[in-house]
Amino acid sequence: MRTIDDFSLPLEYTTPLLEPLGNIVRDWAEREVIPFRREYDEDWKDHRLILPAMDKLLGVYGLQRFLWPEDLGGWGMGKSNYFYVAVYRLVEEMARADSGMCVAIGVVLWPIVYITVEPHVNRRLCEEFAPMFCQTDRAVFSCMAMTEPQGGSDIENVELLKGSTIQTTAVKDGDEWVINGHKLWPTNTGGVADLMAVICTTNPGSDDPGDIAVIFVPADRPGVTQGEAYEKAGMAADKNGDIWFENVRVPLWYRAHGPGDDAKYYGEIVASGNMGTIAMAAGVMLNIYEKLGEYTSSRIYRGKPLKENDAVAGALSDLAATIEAVRMIGYQAARMLDRPELYGDRWSPEVVAKIRAHRYFAVDRCLEVADTAMNLMEACGADRELDVEKHWRDLKMLQLWLGGKQLCQMEVARWFYACETL
Amino acid sequence: MNDLELFPYPKHRLQATDLDLAASLKGLVEKQIMDKRLELKEDYEQLLKPSLGKLMVEIGLQRMFWPEKLGGEEHNEPGAAYTVVAALEQVGRADIGLAFQAAHSLALQAALALEANYMEQQCAAISPLFCEGTQPLIVSFILPAFAEEEGVPEWRGKGLQVKARRSGDTWELNGAKVRPTCSGADADLFGVWCAVEGENEPAFILVPGDVPGLTRGEEFLKTGLAASRNADLGFASVKVPASACAWRGDEGLYRLLSWYYLGLAAAASGALLATYEIIKEWGDNRVIKGRGQIFKENPLTGALMGEIAKDIAVVRLLAYNLAEILAEPGAYGDAGSLAVFTSALIIVHQAYVAAENTIHHTMELMASAGYAKEWQLERYWRDVKTVQCYLGAYELAKHDFARWFYGTKTL
Ligand SMILES: Cc1cc2nc3c(=O)[nH]c(=O)nc-3n(C[C@H](O)[C@H](O)[C@H](O)COP(=O)(O)OP(=O)(O)OC[C@H]3O[C@@H](n4cnc5c(N)ncnc54)[C@H](O)[C@@H]3O)c2cc1C
Repeated sequence: MRTIDDFSLPLEYTTPLLEPLGNIVRDWAEREVIPFRREYDEDWKDHRLILPAMDKLLGVYGLQRFLWPEDLGGWGMGKSNYFYVAVYRLVEEMARADSGMCVAIGVVLWPIVYITVEPHVNRRLCEEFAPMFCQTDRAVFSCMAMTEPQGGSDIENVELLKGSTIQTTAVKDGDEWVINGHKLWPTNTGGVADLMAVICTTNPGSDDPGDIAVIFVPADRPGVTQGEAYEKAGMAADKNGDIWFENVRVPLWYRAHGPGDDAKYYGEIVASGNMGTIAMAAGVMLNIYEKLGEYTSSRIYRGKPLKENDAVAGALSDLAATIEAVRMIGYQAARMLDRPELYGDRWSPEVVAKIRAHRYFAVDRCLEVADTAMNLMEACGADRELDVEKHWRDLKMLQLWLGGKQLCQMEVARWFYACETL
Repeated sequence: MNDLELFPYPKHRLQATDLDLAASLKGLVEKQIMDKRLELKEDYEQLLKPSLGKLMVEIGLQRMFWPEKLGGEEHNEPGAAYTVVAALEQVGRADIGLAFQAAHSLALQAALALEANYMEQQCAAISPLFCEGTQPLIVSFILPAFAEEEGVPEWRGKGLQVKARRSGDTWELNGAKVRPTCSGADADLFGVWCAVEGENEPAFILVPGDVPGLTRGEEFLKTGLAASRNADLGFASVKVPASACAWRGDEGLYRLLSWYYLGLAAAASGALLATYEIIKEWGDNRVIKGRGQIFKENPLTGALMGEIAKDIAVVRLLAYNLAEILAEPGAYGDAGSLAVFTSALIIVHQAYVAAENTIHHTMELMASAGYAKEWQLERYWRDVKTVQCYLGAYELAKHDFARWFYGTKTL
């Protein structure tokens, strides 16, 4: 049988860096994650097994330094024009092992994009926060706090609602912001987060995007409370809970950029989150390919290996074809983010809508073939021991976050058909 | 009107006793299971096992088909198919795993005790286990599966997991790494579809759970169906009397499976009715698009909610349609015929394909809440998928459909 390395790569725009980076992560996954992942579901609350693996990749190997400027101890990837393609590769490798862990690690970098990636580098904030990530070999966690109890999609629906539904407020008081509000669900909460990027409004109910503020809040500030993690269907390595902000004070300059720019660059957060989601889906599918390949080679149906049955082979082909296509879509999305001179600003409605289209198309296809993959294994498909069921449970979440499928559809329709009221 | 009554079903076909049973089960599962879910989650010892006892023993589902003279309810006419759906729909609404277990018991009862095919000797031997105990009698089946090596005797393309040899008055059974359909860790009685040494025709042999030589592996973790604690089994020279063989040949197995699929289709319908209740509450109360738009009033999400309701309605009708097919052998043929078996297979697969899609869509609409244990939806999603896996590969079931409808010979 072929291996996962036989799936096509867009060779004309990969970089020499990808190979060693990918190998490091694959090696980490094989040693630190895959042998233990079957017990992650029971570890969802304590992370006794989960945290050491994250410490290794983020702290010891130093992935949490990826974006920070080199002179501040980082790897300086924020100024690379291969940044997103590299992220695609890393994410795919991580998700092949565990997409819950992958999102937890990915989100360590995600909010930092706001202040470290050219052209929107906030040097002062880099100097302020880089040491916490770069001067330790323990994992340090960030979170991107957007979702609120009344709804996450509306907050992400910036183009239509322009921040008017955000209820977490930031009020200026002297040279400080005073933050009040309630977020829930962000990745790396439930007690995990060390640094939070919080989407706030400076003028509740306003539909002026200038009133959207993204403010960095160290989790140990007085008035920040993280609730317990929620128990979920999958993705045990990602803790998600409530965060309450009660008169939390941070300096005014903890705001990412300022009126207008915070809302503008939020588009890049959405686009990159969707690109990463495609990479996760591809990574999950690659491992399903491996597991299903082993299974259908070793089980006998009508006197032959299961994979030799034409109907089963048809379904196996759908799986391989989906991976081929999803990977191409994902790399293309990454490429669009890396090459604004060709594709337009990373935060533009066009790029955001197109990558949303890529994401929901890719994830929907993956869900379909994962449903079939699990079912082809009959009763064993539901066995924890064979790993496919875990990926099936995790994969579903890739469709639900970042505003869910329907918001993707609306943003895509809005851009391609110039709809005005969606 | 009770919201669940919005989904049509052939009420006129149900007897007053069926409606009473459904009503009392509804009340029971709400109190015994649904109200305790948040606290007890999927706890086997505290929630699921006692609930099974209530359903099987107190309500008496495990006595339903057996004749009165043997301590049963003697509800063993074909029309009992409606009772099965009415009952298991209510159980499935609370917990698919419990309905799954009950479906095993009811299918075995039907296969042995239906009035038209009454098996006197087997009923006399087996029914006391069901009728006299104060504990639920957990039934499991051992059906063909993909073999791990070549040369294993096959039934419809899949390997028979246990081999039986008849010597004198005993059957001796052997098999390693045997995967039962449910409750391998707990089952009291296994119905085993065995290859018979030197013969082509398999035998359905009833094996008590405590017989010497039957070993149980550790309970393994799986996607859903917490009520069925499954484990692989070993049969090492397991000996049972000759009378433990309930039947030889396909007809009996088709009958068993047709009734089994009826119970499973009812469980899917019940799970979907629960899904409806969950999404209805969400659709009535969630607000999107920031302008006070009630979720169900949004054209896109409202359409998907409509699709969800449509599929729930269809699955319910399908389950009751299978009940009609089984209840009217004069019109449709005997439950042991290939025709009825194929219809049952089609309906149960369609029910689970639809159930899976429906819950997928519901989760889409509820986003993280759908994925969180607290909101209860995700449990149905995992349970439905697990039953679907245990039903067998849909891709290959399509060959069963093709064989029947097109006379295909080599698939
Ligand atoms: C594992 C995990 C990780 C997460 N990570 C993060 C994170 O890092 N940061 C964070 O802030 N949140 C995070 N979330 C939350 C997640 O992003 C939100 O749940 C999601 O954005 C949807 O928001 P909601 O749950 O409030 O649902 P709602 O906003 O109420 O949306 C529910 C559904 O309504 C429909 N809908 C919404 N808007 C529209 C529209 N305009 N038109 C049509 N239909 C619409 C969609 O079907 C949608 O799925 C995470 C959640 C999980 C479980």
